[in-house]
Amino acid sequence: MNIFLPELTVLATGLIVLIYDLFAIKKDNSKFSTYFSLLGLILAFVLVALGDSGQALGGRFAVEGIEPWFKLIFLGSSILTLTFTAETFTSKAQEKLNHPAEFHTMMLFSITGMMFLVSSRDLISLYVSLELATIPLFLLAAWTKNIRSGEGSLKYLLSGALASAILLYGFGLLYGLTGEMSLAQIGPKLTANPALWLAAGMVLAGVGFKLTLFPFHMWAPDTYESAPTSITAFLSVASKAAGLALFFQLYYRVFSTHTLSFQFIISLFAAATMTLGNVVAIKQKNIKRFMAYSAISQAGYLMMGFLGTSHESTASIIFYLLVYALTNLTAFAVIVHHTHNQDDESIEGLRGLSLSHPILALIFMIALFGLAGIPPLSGFVGKFFLFSVAAKSGYYWLVTIAALNSTVSLYYYLRIIRQMYIEPLNPQEHPMKSSGLFKMGLGIGVLGSVVCGLIPMIYEHIDTNTIEWLSTLHVLGMK
Amino acid sequence: MLRQIVLLSLFLFSTGLYGILTRRSSVGLFIAIEMMINAAIINFVAFNRFLAPSHIDGQVMGIFAMALAAAEVLVGMAILVMLFRQRKNTDIQSMNSLKH
Repeated sequence: MNIFLPELTVLATGLIVLIYDLFAIKKDNSKFSTYFSLLGLILAFVLVALGDSGQALGGRFAVEGIEPWFKLIFLGSSILTLTFTAETFTSKAQEKLNHPAEFHTMMLFSITGMMFLVSSRDLISLYVSLELATIPLFLLAAWTKNIRSGEGSLKYLLSGALASAILLYGFGLLYGLTGEMSLAQIGPKLTANPALWLAAGMVLAGVGFKLTLFPFHMWAPDTYESAPTSITAFLSVASKAAGLALFFQLYYRVFSTHTLSFQFIISLFAAATMTLGNVVAIKQKNIKRFMAYSAISQAGYLMMGFLGTSHESTASIIFYLLVYALTNLTAFAVIVHHTHNQDDESIEGLRGLSLSHPILALIFMIALFGLAGIPPLSGFVGKFFLFSVAAKSGYYWLVTIAALNSTVSLYYYLRIIRQMYIEPLNPQEHPMKSSGLFKMGLGIGVLGSVVCGLIPMIYEHIDTNTIEWLSTLHVLGMK
Repeated sequence: MLRQIVLLSLFLFSTGLYGILTRRSSVGLFIAIEMMINAAIINFVAFNRFLAPSHIDGQVMGIFAMALAAAEVLVGMAILVMLFRQRKNTDIQSMNSLKH
């Protein structure tokens, strides 16, 4: 029962926020729902951090080794997202968000789905929790209710529903091949045959949609651009982490005996995804669309970690995910703050930010350098681990492409920094007031994105948990 | 018998996929996606009946998948109604306001 506690806390918080709003006398209670949701999420965060490993529901739900890390990333990124969402409920910008209680409830439900996704151990609960994580996001993407937001959300929904239908068909084939629903029992029973490759391809397509891998990334730029900015942040971090968790479940459990056959195709996906993301990001004018392509290329780097054959590869993926979550959310905190106060989503709107708001510009620069992977920052350490994983497995061509891509990415991240530091002040800039909550979230984000790379304990801790986790599985070629 | 049922589900799945690639109305797209999900459900139930009849896992999955498909389409319809009020059509080819 204790194992469920974090999930139940998040779920209960969502329900309480929703029901309180129904009976509340005061109609504008965005403060209550923000703080209560934050309270519930922080409580769940602490419960996950202190929680033990174990199993429940006859082994259908389990917490082992690395699953707490995923849950901490989900909860941490939603806490950070909420800290800078709070001011968008009261802002006067066009993109002002309404219905705070429902907004928070949807977000909390989505996080519940993600947390169940990491821990589920059979196809049924995996699929149900995946849908629970995704369906609220369709609604959140349409929250501003204008034509653009609806269009982006509809595109997200149609491609999401298509991906989940293909994934479900893939699951059906896996079930047909083995007659088992439990992930651990499907793995050993799978033998190499054409039907397996069909199922694997369908599953990869479904996962690729969530992770925005190259041929399945089409929805991402449109949806990221049109969704409320704080939801864009949530999509680019938490939803991507959920996709990675889904791929972890399938790659290390279901396809555990065939992982080596996947490596070549994964390397192709990684190369194509990072190159496309980087090349298209260069000429973007809208900051949210720009971040979408940047997030696509980051997914390409993340995929490199699956090429390894040791526990270090798994640990480096989780470490990079943690670093990416913190860094990307820091960047998005500044973007949300800026777009809401200025009502301007163009990159040029940021010009002269260093003159009017030096600290905000400095933090944004640190976050962008972290995403590009400049040495003292943790983005560099994370990328270094991922690149060395690919190099150790002999994928030198991929490491070369990734290194070239990192250089290209530096160019377009520097484009934004140039706007902030070299261009003169934007004459139309409105004064920006930041709330205490926003400052706190920004502080945590920037501190995390600097410190994670400097303190070796975090990586070592992840590595220890990974070894423990992998020892419970039987993955081919994994030491 | 299993062979025929799997062929039926493959036919349904392919029809759905074809529908997604060719339909212009958003509602048509939802119907096509629904067909694909139903194809997968037929697979689950048939495999359950013929390959692993000792448990009812596949049928349980079928019920859950139906409920989830309904939830997905419900959300889709809500967004579509909101869009329809503003655009007066559901043609996806005209949805190109988000530019590169």
